[in-house]
Amino acid sequence: MPLLGRRHRLRAIIVTGLRREFKRPATLVATAVGVGLVLVSSIVIVLFLGAFLPGQTRDLSFFFVPASNGAILFFVTLMASVVGSALIADDLNSMALTLYLSRPITHADYLIAKAAILAPLISMIAMLPLVLTPFVAALLGLFAWTIALEAIGLSVLLGLLFTAFYTSVTLLLSSLTTRKSYAAAGVFAVTFGLTIPADILASSIGNSALLYVSPWEDYLALARAAFGASGNQLDWPWALAILLVATVVASLFTYLRMKAVEVVSG
Amino acid sequence: MSAVAEAAGVSKWYGEVLGLNAFTASFGTGITGLVGPNGAGKSTLFKLLIGQLHANQGTLRLLGENPWNNVPMMRRLGYCPEHNQLYGWLSGQQFVEALLRLDGMPAAEASKAAGAALKVVGLSAAAHRPTRTYSRGMRQRAKLAQALAHDPEVLILDEPLSGADPMARVQILRTIADFAKDGGHVLMSTHVLYEIERITNNIVLIHNGKAIASGDIHAIRALIDEHPHAVRFETPQPRQLAQALARMDHVVSLEVPAEDTLVIRTRKPDAFYKELPGIVADTKLEVRGLESPDDSLEAVFRYLVG
Amino acid sequence: MFGEVRAVDDLSVAIPEGAIGLVGPNGAGKTTFLRLLLGLVRPTTGTAKVLGHNIAEGVPVRERIGYMPEHDCLIPDMTGVGLVTYMGRVSGLDANTAISRAHDVLQFVGVEEERYRKIAEYSTGMKQKVKLAQAMVHDPQLYIFDEPTTGLDPRGRTEMLDLVRVIARSPGRNVVLSSHLLPDVETICKYIVILDGGHQIAAGELSQLLTGSADRLRIDVRGDREAFARRLLEAGMEADATPSGVHVARKPGVEAAIFQTAKALGVEVRYMGREIRSLEEFFLELVQRNEARGA
Repeated sequence: MPLLGRRHRLRAIIVTGLRREFKRPATLVATAVGVGLVLVSSIVIVLFLGAFLPGQTRDLSFFFVPASNGAILFFVTLMASVVGSALIADDLNSMALTLYLSRPITHADYLIAKAAILAPLISMIAMLPLVLTPFVAALLGLFAWTIALEAIGLSVLLGLLFTAFYTSVTLLLSSLTTRKSYAAAGVFAVTFGLTIPADILASSIGNSALLYVSPWEDYLALARAAFGASGNQLDWPWALAILLVATVVASLFTYLRMKAVEVVSG
Repeated sequence: MSAVAEAAGVSKWYGEVLGLNAFTASFGTGITGLVGPNGAGKSTLFKLLIGQLHANQGTLRLLGENPWNNVPMMRRLGYCPEHNQLYGWLSGQQFVEALLRLDGMPAAEASKAAGAALKVVGLSAAAHRPTRTYSRGMRQRAKLAQALAHDPEVLILDEPLSGADPMARVQILRTIADFAKDGGHVLMSTHVLYEIERITNNIVLIHNGKAIASGDIHAIRALIDEHPHAVRFETPQPRQLAQALARMDHVVSLEVPAEDTLVIRTRKPDAFYKELPGIVADTKLEVRGLESPDDSLEAVFRYLVG
Repeated sequence: MFGEVRAVDDLSVAIPEGAIGLVGPNGAGKTTFLRLLLGLVRPTTGTAKVLGHNIAEGVPVRERIGYMPEHDCLIPDMTGVGLVTYMGRVSGLDANTAISRAHDVLQFVGVEEERYRKIAEYSTGMKQKVKLAQAMVHDPQLYIFDEPTTGLDPRGRTEMLDLVRVIARSPGRNVVLSSHLLPDVETICKYIVILDGGHQIAAGELSQLLTGSADRLRIDVRGDREAFARRLLEAGMEADATPSGVHVARKPGVEAAIFQTAKALGVEVRYMGREIRSLEEFFLELVQRNEARGA
């Protein structure tokens, strides 16, 4: 029987995965509310600042504000925990992993496919609103198109990085347990367990270096640097390094973890 | 000696779901195999026998007493459940000891009894390793050890051989056979029919919550009229042998599928086998081999359950 | 030859086409062997080829293998046909072929309307059948069955073994059956590989490994077995009464003597046939010998 190649096999996993996700009410709600809220709030903020505070210079640094929208953090975390936590945990729980790995795909293929299910959903919150906001703002004539296009470009990059970080960390957590609820809790812990204590400690002790621990602060530092906004307490190269390294290490650990799972047991 | 366990019209429902439906059977001494399709009521019967469930209807007697809420009775029983989850961090020795002490045995005695039971099932070498390192066969033996350790009169075993490797299998069957030889009674269920045939001829066949047959496999087989008992002969003179055997009026069909084979079917296998040596000796016909391909538990099961 | 494994764990195995039984105690290396076949582990030393492909390549080998695992592995919230189709596509079938094959194999294994229901609602027997179906959907050349009858009731066991037998007899298809239930292996496989302690301790055609003595008979006697054996001895035959029956040496006139004696003593002869060792006896003996040698 003639067999199609790797791309088709991966596509089958991705498409089926996405289709199954979108049958779940939780995913639909999280996506709709997340994208909607973030988009609306970003646009409203920009309009508000742009239209009603005439003292502001209408330059690139404006677009730092929608990028720093806390709703992004919240809804990305929500999406990662609703969708992402089950992606590998369920396969470990049911041991369907055995079926996947007995197929002509590699461990890496499996992970790439799973990542490709989660990443688009996360990027709909982390990237899409940030891309649409300057577009809408320019359409309404509030900003010049050159600025808007630059903002769009930077938003894509920031969004990609943020998405990559959350995708790989969520998949790592999902691969460590058979219970998706634990993985989901883990995602929340990474977000709020790192962000909030880091913020509190940094201000109370006065050591802003603690802020590097919080992925959100790292992201904000990058965004500030990208959009040219002021007030950066962190060096953006370090922030970038931290996020990149974390992403790569998480991916690597996930791969090693998958390879270690015994799918043929004695 | 009265039956070890007697059930009369026992019914047990879980809401609408059928457990047992007017189940009536008695289990004799020695080893009895309990056989039936999935969902037939075997687990329900076991749970009723060990007093974990109360029947909705009917009477159940084990060793003459009602097992429900009967704590002294539990001491005379050894039960091996089907599931394989043991306390993974305990060693085999600790596991059996712990259960014995729950039973009320003092610590020193429990330790000795546990060691002895583990020896009987062949787990002495592995007794001090945590049970999570045990293979399926070893877990089955550990469960059996725990069932035997307090010297019960009756063993109730739910799928004791499932997943066990051949060596463990042999050991478990031997332990059960020895237990029965020493006067114990065993009721065991399994799906692998030839395993039961190896240690006993007594079975109870359960289907849809009812006992559809009980007793000696061969006696049951002989009673299944719609499927006359087949006997295959290996002989260079099939037709002459057929002629000789046709004289018996309980022989309903004769077939020569190959030049060296004769297959006959008889309504009365006992009478057939009784007369057979005489006929062969008198006619001096050459018979090189004979077997009854469907005188097995497998055939009984197939004919009665489908 | 479809498979050749050399010197892994010091394991050297050459496997011919057809239906092969893989047998061995726990920890013997069966699991590792299956993992090797599937390309999920690499041998530390030595080489292995399956169906002409080096197992180090992994993916091309798995294209040609259908694996039916022992443990539960189905996705509960998919339907039977959904899962089998999905697995077909992950193996590389295009969408239309996958769904068509899925229905065909589900029909073959005997899953009827249940295929449209969620797997979570399936009985054990149905689940085993779906496991078999997903192993077949991409029409592999090599099937690996790991304890296919686990948890099945007698009817389910018979059905499953019949299916395995049909597959094993299909031309151009090879089957590796790994099981602890040696009589099952005996009825399906023509060739056996016995592993113990990471080594192959025996391999060969069943018919050759198991010829006990063609020149001995086993008789199942109903009645006084001892007396029967004694009478035969008196008649000049070699007879031996054991729990499994009376064993006699085949000599001219022994059959006649058997029936004469039975008639004279009034005992019944219920079985008379070749004294063939069962695979189980052969296996246990071999493993014990191996232990004595090595341990």
